[in-house]
Amino acid sequence: MSQTAVAPFHSNDERTELWVDDEVDLSEWYLSQPWADGLPVVPPTPEKVAAMVSALGGEPQFVECKIPPRWGSLTREVLAINLVLAGCKVEYAPVVRAALLAMTEPQFNLNALQASTHMAAPLLVVNGPVRKAIGMNAGCNVFGSGNRANATIGRALRLVMLSVGGGIPGELDKATLGHPGKYTYCIAENEEGSPWAPYHVDRGFAPEESTVFVIAAESPHSVTNHVANDPQGILDSVASAMSTIAHNTAVAGGPCAIVMGVEHAKMIAAEGWTRSDVRNYLWMYSGNTFDELSFGHRYGKVYNRNLPRWCRRTPDSRIPIVARPEDLHLFVVGGAAGRFSAFIPGWGNYAVPVIRPIDTSKAAPDAPSCVDGTCTL
Amino acid sequence: MPQRVYDPKGLVDVLTKQLARRLENLDGLRLAVLDNTKWNAAKLLDSVVVLLSEKIRFSQINRYKKETFTKPAAPELIRDIAANNDIALIAIAD
Repeated sequence: MSQTAVAPFHSNDERTELWVDDEVDLSEWYLSQPWADGLPVVPPTPEKVAAMVSALGGEPQFVECKIPPRWGSLTREVLAINLVLAGCKVEYAPVVRAALLAMTEPQFNLNALQASTHMAAPLLVVNGPVRKAIGMNAGCNVFGSGNRANATIGRALRLVMLSVGGGIPGELDKATLGHPGKYTYCIAENEEGSPWAPYHVDRGFAPEESTVFVIAAESPHSVTNHVANDPQGILDSVASAMSTIAHNTAVAGGPCAIVMGVEHAKMIAAEGWTRSDVRNYLWMYSGNTFDELSFGHRYGKVYNRNLPRWCRRTPDSRIPIVARPEDLHLFVVGGAAGRFSAFIPGWGNYAVPVIRPIDTSKAAPDAPSCVDGTCTL
Repeated sequence: MPQRVYDPKGLVDVLTKQLARRLENLDGLRLAVLDNTKWNAAKLLDSVVVLLSEKIRFSQINRYKKETFTKPAAPELIRDIAANNDIALIAIAD
């Protein structure tokens, strides 16, 4: 196989084109690239890329943001290429863009997340009318598999993180284990099945707005409870899942997520409990003792000098899993049947999750603003 | 007939920077020690300072601490270190 030397695209210049011989199997060629995620891609064509650029508002060389740690410029054309590779439909494009803009806000700290030895990956939760408009799954098997929108939106984020961001495993991505969410990790909240107002409404958005929420997250830990039919019984199981010394939220603090199954949520809400009641209960009744967290000082006198100074360091002191109830991000997801929920630990107090509206119009976003080397435009 | 392929990586705007001049003699210099707050970072750095001090006579050893190991040192911390020291000892680890 021979291949024309690769040259980068140049902003405002005529695009440099890449060609391979006609006997090259394009699927194999893309799979062999260093940024590949290990799964086959959809080979882009000029028509497919143009359709995606149009869905993003035209202006192919417009830079939406820069993706760390490589700080590659995510032009609309580059984003379009990644969207096609991932298998996205054109109607998914605004959702993916909104998620990437959220992830490149400075407080999300994508630079460090990409390089971390911890397994965390961005979990994307979508709210609002866009879920149904583009055919997302919020019900049965919400975490997978089987839904093109969920699967390819999440995959597009990862391909951008690999290619534009350079977060290639073993190179800049040093995660010891990774987790399956590093292929794709995208869900929609089951607003229709939820007894409460949607997550984004709780955060101050109108129900008719559509939003993306991103949080650095471990994989879901199932909470099985087929016995309790009251808030305390169900939530004691969730608190139990939270109260281990093993996950990163216990070790490093910060935000985490609770995904509540529909059956559990309805039982809790039937007793008049609100989202706030659930968060407060879980914050209050989850935790580990300092003795458990510090291994009884078996490894030295000083345990984790990053533990907040307001935590008592006596053996039987309770160390909360989250510093405040607002660090618990609660979603109602999944199918109508099955008394399951899940606890999803976060990455630590290194990053703040971001919620952002989805711009489904084709108007260009506002003027650029760059902080800490990350530019959102 | 050749087939077109696409590069999804995008360009990187590269800033060319010069490395600081290498010093030949470290005796009499002011040493900054930057703790990134990782677990055991301070122990590692302190041990290295002890070993270095057996061979090098630093005029000062100034200790600094980052706010978090997940982000670069704040610009004002870097300016402080540069203004008050001649060389810096840092460590990157997990």
